[in-house]
Amino acid sequence: MSQTEPVLEARALAKRYRRGVWALGGIDLAIPQGGITALVGPNAAGKSTLIKTWVGFERPTRGGVTVAGIDPWKDRSGALAHLGYVPQSPSLYDALSVDDHLAMAVQLRPGFDRATAAGRLDQLGIPLSAPARQLSGGQQAQVALALALGTRAEILLLDEPLASLDPLARREFLHVLTDAVRTDGATALLSSHIVTDVEQACDRLVVLGVGRVLLHSTVADALASHRISAAGDEPIAGGAPVATFAGPTSEPLTLVRLSQPLPEDGLRAANLEEVVMGYLASARVVPGQAAA
Amino acid sequence: MSRVSSWARLSFALQRWELLLVIAGSAILVALMLWVALQARAVVAVDPTCFGADGGGAACQRLSEQFSGLADLGSRLLYGSYAAPFGMGLVLGVPLVAREVDHGTASVAWTLARSRIGWLAPRIAFVALVVIGLLAAIAVASDLMAPAIQPDRNLAADFTWYGRRGGLIVMRGLLSLGIGLAIGAMFGRQLPALLVAIFATVAIFTAVSFGMDQWLEADATPTSYGVDIGGGKQLGERIQLPDGRLVTWTELYPDGAMSIAIQGDGMVYTADANGIATDPVGSIQALIVPGELYPSFVLRESAILGGLALLLGGLAFLVVQRRRPY
Repeated sequence: MSQTEPVLEARALAKRYRRGVWALGGIDLAIPQGGITALVGPNAAGKSTLIKTWVGFERPTRGGVTVAGIDPWKDRSGALAHLGYVPQSPSLYDALSVDDHLAMAVQLRPGFDRATAAGRLDQLGIPLSAPARQLSGGQQAQVALALALGTRAEILLLDEPLASLDPLARREFLHVLTDAVRTDGATALLSSHIVTDVEQACDRLVVLGVGRVLLHSTVADALASHRISAAGDEPIAGGAPVATFAGPTSEPLTLVRLSQPLPEDGLRAANLEEVVMGYLASARVVPGQAAA
Repeated sequence: MSRVSSWARLSFALQRWELLLVIAGSAILVALMLWVALQARAVVAVDPTCFGADGGGAACQRLSEQFSGLADLGSRLLYGSYAAPFGMGLVLGVPLVAREVDHGTASVAWTLARSRIGWLAPRIAFVALVVIGLLAAIAVASDLMAPAIQPDRNLAADFTWYGRRGGLIVMRGLLSLGIGLAIGAMFGRQLPALLVAIFATVAIFTAVSFGMDQWLEADATPTSYGVDIGGGKQLGERIQLPDGRLVTWTELYPDGAMSIAIQGDGMVYTADANGIATDPVGSIQALIVPGELYPSFVLRESAILGGLALLLGGLAFLVVQRRRPY
């Protein structure tokens, strides 16, 4: 696969659950190779559904997805060979030790790099002999990440692994992830509803809301091409308002998208959280759900 | 550590408590059966004449009481060997997939393993080997104990304690395992799966038993009421009319209304308003499958149970292939 081809792709992907709720409403998305992409959105935005469709857990109602060019619903084994997956909750076996988890991974996954996985856990001071049930939430998440990294898969899908972690554990987790991705040249997709945490770690940003892709760009472009306009600010030429949302003190703030970067536009730069808030507001999603 | 031993160790760890429970239970049952067998044989060996037709005297009375106590205990233990395959199969079969889904570990295991079949097959193989091993031990112990507490019968050609001794115990365990596995995979929740699996086990085994009886009916012979049937198996009863025809009660009285009197010799009469026998209707005949058919009957049922177990195992694979891991 060439550098330019997307490693993860969704084409007109729609997913409706049995109870009639549409989780995804026909999205097109292509994640290029390399780096970490943050998949951000509020609860019920469809983040988990999208990831689970790539893993082959969910069947698309319409459209399709590919992993390294493979449709996971038609060739699950082929797709999984390219994937490492970290679920929302660590989901470790209570009855097994950390070392047992690695041994199981060796049994299940041809080519599982036990030494690397064990080395990473050792660096974090997680004893291999410890039973999984005795580990903290952060340690369990690290074990789940080590299992995914040990597969040496070129694509990592992480489904809100930070949700239940304290700030320190979140930072450690992201540090290990970024280090591994940069060392191995892998592609990671990290879903989260905590924008501030992923800001430092991610190269790309996908904002998902009400089952639609609201924004997909690099983090650098997202920051460079958006401004915040407060009440009383003059409108600027070449800028299109995205949406207005409530600021930290309930003041109305408007996210403005620039058609091209303007060196002196008179408006302050938007931070990533404001970019996300603006796009979620544009989809009429309750803004408070999007941020930590 | 080899791949197989490593997998066996992990498989054991994943179901440690259930396995320890069934291993301990089986060990106790086998030990008690062997003890009863040895004790019963030792009691008979003291004076075999005490257990013949001429047995008598105070010494024989003591031996006879001792033997009766052991035979009574042995008969109770055979309830254990009857229940063991169902309990073992369900206790080990239901959690195999259901717990993984219930606890969320299936999400990790099914993505680490590229093939879900490759994940499930060794797990089933390990548990099936445990079930076969433990139930085979119980089967052997029951086969040693049963003749020891029934020394006057040839149990190799006898339906006595059917399903509580011998190889049928193993096959019943495998089918119960298949039922637990398949229902656990379908439900993905341990407790509901266990409850449904219990009902399904009762239903399936009842259906098999009914089907086997129907199958065997052609081999059954009508036997007069009160005649010793030896090691035979009674499938039901018929009324033999004076013209020789065999009919069921329902055929004889389709509307359900009957006023009859049955004599001690099995003769059936119509009865008057006071219940006094008047005209002969026929005689009750028991449908008996001779004890000599016991081995072939066991073989037939074993084949059916084995086939059903394979079918349910296949169903479990199919469900695991298609279901969500949550």
